[in-house]
Amino acid sequence: MKAIFVYSLTMLKRFLRDPIYLFFVFAFPLIFLFIFGTIFGNSSDVNFNLALINHADNDFTTSFIEKFSGGDNQTFEIDREITDLEVAKEKMSRGEIDSIIELPESFGEVSESCQTKAATPADCLPSGEMKVFYDEGSPQAGQTISIIMSGILDEMNVAVTGTTPRFKVDQVSTGAAGLSQFDYTFAGLFSYVLMTMGIYTLSQQLPSEKKTGTLRRIKATPFRPWQLLVGLSLVYLFLTIISAALMIAIGVLMFDFQMRGSWLTLSIFSIISTLTMIGFGAIVAGAAKNENQATMASQLIAFPMMFLSGVFFPRFLMPDWLQNATSWIPLTPVGDGVRYITTEGAGLIDILPQLGLVAVWGVVAYVVAFKVFRWE
Amino acid sequence: MLKSANMKPIISVRGLRKVYGDKVVVRDVSFEVRAGEIFGILGPNGAGKTTLMEMMEAMRPIDGGQVILAGLDVAKKPRKIKQIIGVQLQSSEFYNKVTLAESLTMFASFYGQKVNPRQLLGEVELSEKADSYPEKLSGGQKQRFSIAAALVNNPRVLFLDEPTTGLDPQARRHLWELIEKIRQRGITVILTSHYMEEAERLCDRLAIMDNGRIIALDSPANLIKKLLAKGFHKKQVREQADLEDVYIDLTGKALRE
Repeated sequence: MKAIFVYSLTMLKRFLRDPIYLFFVFAFPLIFLFIFGTIFGNSSDVNFNLALINHADNDFTTSFIEKFSGGDNQTFEIDREITDLEVAKEKMSRGEIDSIIELPESFGEVSESCQTKAATPADCLPSGEMKVFYDEGSPQAGQTISIIMSGILDEMNVAVTGTTPRFKVDQVSTGAAGLSQFDYTFAGLFSYVLMTMGIYTLSQQLPSEKKTGTLRRIKATPFRPWQLLVGLSLVYLFLTIISAALMIAIGVLMFDFQMRGSWLTLSIFSIISTLTMIGFGAIVAGAAKNENQATMASQLIAFPMMFLSGVFFPRFLMPDWLQNATSWIPLTPVGDGVRYITTEGAGLIDILPQLGLVAVWGVVAYVVAFKVFRWE
Repeated sequence: MLKSANMKPIISVRGLRKVYGDKVVVRDVSFEVRAGEIFGILGPNGAGKTTLMEMMEAMRPIDGGQVILAGLDVAKKPRKIKQIIGVQLQSSEFYNKVTLAESLTMFASFYGQKVNPRQLLGEVELSEKADSYPEKLSGGQKQRFSIAAALVNNPRVLFLDEPTTGLDPQARRHLWELIEKIRQRGITVILTSHYMEEAERLCDRLAIMDNGRIIALDSPANLIKKLLAKGFHKKQVREQADLEDVYIDLTGKALRE
C-alpha cells in the first residue's frame, strides 16, 4: 500500500515540475469552456433576431411597436438598421436574422367601411394584419414569433374593443427557472472533460515509458502492475480534480454558471466517474505497445462515447434502438448524473442508477486493465 | 583478487532454454554461481547473454530448465526472487524530473523498505548529485546511479548487464573499484561484458557464450592456461605496456564528469 502512495507522490512531483505539460493538461478543458461559454453564454438574453419592416405611419402602430420592442423583453432583438424587405429576406437566408415582421401601410388604420352608412361601431376601430416571414429551415423561429405577436395583438384587441376574452391560455414554463442554456451545456462539457482527462492522459504516459525503459526497470522490482495502475490513477484523479475545479471556477465567475445541486454530491460523483474513465485509459495504457497504438485506441474509445453519450448531442434525437444501446455506454450515466446534479439539484439517492452503472463500468475497466497490462 | 569466495553455489542453472519462434536463443545452459564471487558472462552480440540474465532475474519467462537462486525456484517464485536480487538493465531508464534521492526512496518503497538515499548515493560517489535529475548525469554517473538503485533492497545477488559499455577508461576503472567494493560486502555479482581486460581483472570465474551455449567456463587464469596448453602462441611478444596504459598515464585516473 505504502509503495503505491510513494509512487503516486513521486509521479505527481514529476508532473508538477513540468509546467508546459500542466499548461496543456489544464488549458485544454478551459479552451472548450471559453468556446462553449461564448457561444451559449448570452443565449438566455436573446433568442431571436428580428427585422421590422414598417410601412404604416399612425399612432396606433407606433404604440404597438413600443409595446413589443420596449421594456425588458428578452425573447428577441430587433435589428433597426434593416428597413427594406428584400434586404431583410437576404439576411434571413444567410441566417443573420431569424424572422421578419412586416406591417402593411394599412396597419392600424380605420377601415374605409367606417365612412359608409351601414358601418357598425366595430368597423370604425383600427384593424390590420401583420406578416411574419420565416425561413423554411427554422420554422420554430417563425412559429414562436407568431405566437408572441398573437399574444400582443390579443392584448391590443382587448384594449381597443373593451371586451374581456372568455378563454385564455396561461403559459407556464416547467424548466428549472433561471437556468441558461449554458448551464446545460456546462454539464455536458464537464462530463466530457472527466472523460478526456481520464482516457487520454494516462494512455499516452505509459506507452512512452515502455519506449524509454522506465517501466522495464520497475518490472525488475516486486512492484506489481495493479499497484502501478492504481498509483497512476490517483495521480490523474488529482490532476482531474484540479482541472474540474478550474472549470467550475471559471464557469461561475465568467459565465454565470448556476449550480442547482450540492457541491459535495458533484464531487463524489465526479471522483467515481473520473476513476472509471481512468480505468479505460489504463486498459489502453497497459495494452498498447507504443504511443501510436495508444493514440488510435483511445480515439476509438473516446470518440463514440463523446457523440453517443448525449453530453454534446441530446440522445432523444436518436432512433429508439440507438437510444437503448447508448444508455449503457460508460459516459452516458456520467453525463446524465452530472446534469441531474447541476441542473435539477439531484442528490446521490436520485442518481443511484447512474452511480451504479458508472461503478460497474469502473470495476470492469480495472479488471480488464490489470489483465491486459504489459510492461514492455 | 579476493579469494574468500564461498564454494557453496547461490545460483544453479540447469538445462535453461529460451526459444523465440523457431530460433533457440539459449540452449540447455547449465552452470553454478558461488556465493560471494564475481561471475562474468562473455560472448559476442546475440550470443544470448542478456536473455540468460533476464531469465535468472525473473524478467523473462523460462521456456525450459530451471534456475534455483538462494534455494528458490525463479519460475515459481518470481516476486520472492525480485525481492532479494538487484538488477541493472542494459536498456532501461530512470524517471526524468525525479531527483536521484527521490528515485531511490521510491525504488526502496517497491521492496517495502526504507533507505537513506544520501548515504547510498555517497557509496557510489554521487552525494553532490542527490538533488539532480538523472537526465543531467554523465554516462559513468548514470551507471553508478543505476547500481545504487539496484542496491536499495540490500540484495544477495547483483546482476549487471554491460555496466561499463560506452564509458571512458577513467569511468570504467572507477566502476571496477565500485563493483569490487560491493563484492566485499558479501554480495554475489553477475555481470556481462565485452571487455576482456575487465573480465580478467574483475571476475573470479567466467562463462563464455556463443550461439546460446556456454562453450567455456573457468577462472580467467585457467582459461588462459588451457589455451596455452593447446600450444597457442601470440605472434608478437607482449609489450610491458599497452596503449591504454599510455592513455591512463597521460590523462590520469581522475574521473572527468
